[in-house]
Amino acid sequence: MVRSQSDAKAIVYEPQLCTGCRYCEVACAVWHCGRIDVAQSRIRILFDEERMTERYSAVNCQHCDDPICCAVCPSEALQKDEKTGWVTQNSSKCVGCEMCVVACPLSVPFFDAALKVAVKCDFCFGVPECVKHCSSGALRVYAREEAVRFNERLYVSAKEEQ
Amino acid sequence: MGIQATRIYRFDASGCNGCDIEVLEILALVQVAELGIEIVETPKEANLLLVTGGSNLKSKPELESAYAVIQEPRHVIAVGSCAATMGIFKGGYAMTGPIDTIIPVDLYIMGCPPRPQVILGALADTLQLKVEGMETLLHTPQGFRGDPHVDQGKCIGCGACANVCPADAIEIVESGTERLVRFMRKDCIFCASCQEVCPTEAVELRVGDKAWFRTKDASTSEARLQRRTCLVCGTLFLPDAQMNWAMSRVDEKLEMGTGDRSKLQRSLNICMQCRRNSISEVREAKSILASLASRASGRGARC
Repeated sequence: MVRSQSDAKAIVYEPQLCTGCRYCEVACAVWHCGRIDVAQSRIRILFDEERMTERYSAVNCQHCDDPICCAVCPSEALQKDEKTGWVTQNSSKCVGCEMCVVACPLSVPFFDAALKVAVKCDFCFGVPECVKHCSSGALRVYAREEAVRFNERLYVSAKEEQ
Repeated sequence: MGIQATRIYRFDASGCNGCDIEVLEILALVQVAELGIEIVETPKEANLLLVTGGSNLKSKPELESAYAVIQEPRHVIAVGSCAATMGIFKGGYAMTGPIDTIIPVDLYIMGCPPRPQVILGALADTLQLKVEGMETLLHTPQGFRGDPHVDQGKCIGCGACANVCPADAIEIVESGTERLVRFMRKDCIFCASCQEVCPTEAVELRVGDKAWFRTKDASTSEARLQRRTCLVCGTLFLPDAQMNWAMSRVDEKLEMGTGDRSKLQRSLNICMQCRRNSISEVREAKSILASLASRASGRGARC
């Protein structure tokens, strides 16, 4: 398998552009649950006005190359699609052990108490709703390689400079 | 625990009839008359009620009047999960049970349904009947599902069993610094779903347990797990064992640098609320994931 030549995609989030409108949360909840219930949204926007820098942040699935959630899932409910790059969850295989919720450092999957399974971002199986409705362009779909470089710059190199 | 009764009336208080069939099966196992007991046709002649089913609006008055007319001293044996807790009918709009809220119950025979051998065993035990070869009869055949038992050493307290249990027989109780996973005998319908989903194979449905009890609230088994304290907010959240299991799975399946590994280990000490609500924690988490991603893409370019 040659990862670099795949047409896998990833969602990137640029905190500097985010306005905190949280329209992505609404769009996500409506697409996945059919109602405006941001608690059901697979993406979460954080805002902390007391911080001097980086007042906005997002809890959004990174659709990792080596997903920690898939590694800990005992029932193979979480799978990484190598072709599309999506990490998706199969509700009928999920046993509700919450291991993915526990293991993901971002805690992206969360437990749906009504369905008794974990749910997570599924890339909307195509064009993500959050990206489609992001008016400021903070959320974008990048090719996998590009997204890795983008996140590296934002979260790994920036840190080393500090 | 003797009950002085010889004349039995079987009362069907609206179950699925599974227990009734098993009660009737007793007739195929032994010659009831030889045991000195009698199965009677009306409650008036009886001094022991063998109640099956969880009681609904229609059968409740019938059950009350049957109990009123049986001969003194009155004895009641509840047969099956429905009689003890309403079983799978729990929450039904017409249900008025369980039986012990209507009439006093002397003995509960657990099972959904209990095997005829178990019902006979319970009768033999409590009525002091001499049944030839009772031990052999009670011996459970291979592959038969009995009470669930949880292995304290293997259980990680994830709660998958409680989530999947169709009869709500598994309780997850957070008590102080511990999480309790408790298997309640009264509700169990022996479907073995808990055994099937358990990620660590800690649950096993064992055979050969005695299944009749004076009280119904006993748990078959339970596991106690120490809960972890969140590094950020200091609250107790999930069990230590669950976090350790997650880490061991990650070690098994993924290769990562020692720096990332220790960061991931730290993130397992933070509760879900803090992970999802604090910008600095989100940043920390994203840096782990970004570093893992660049590592993976580097590997991809090489191959």
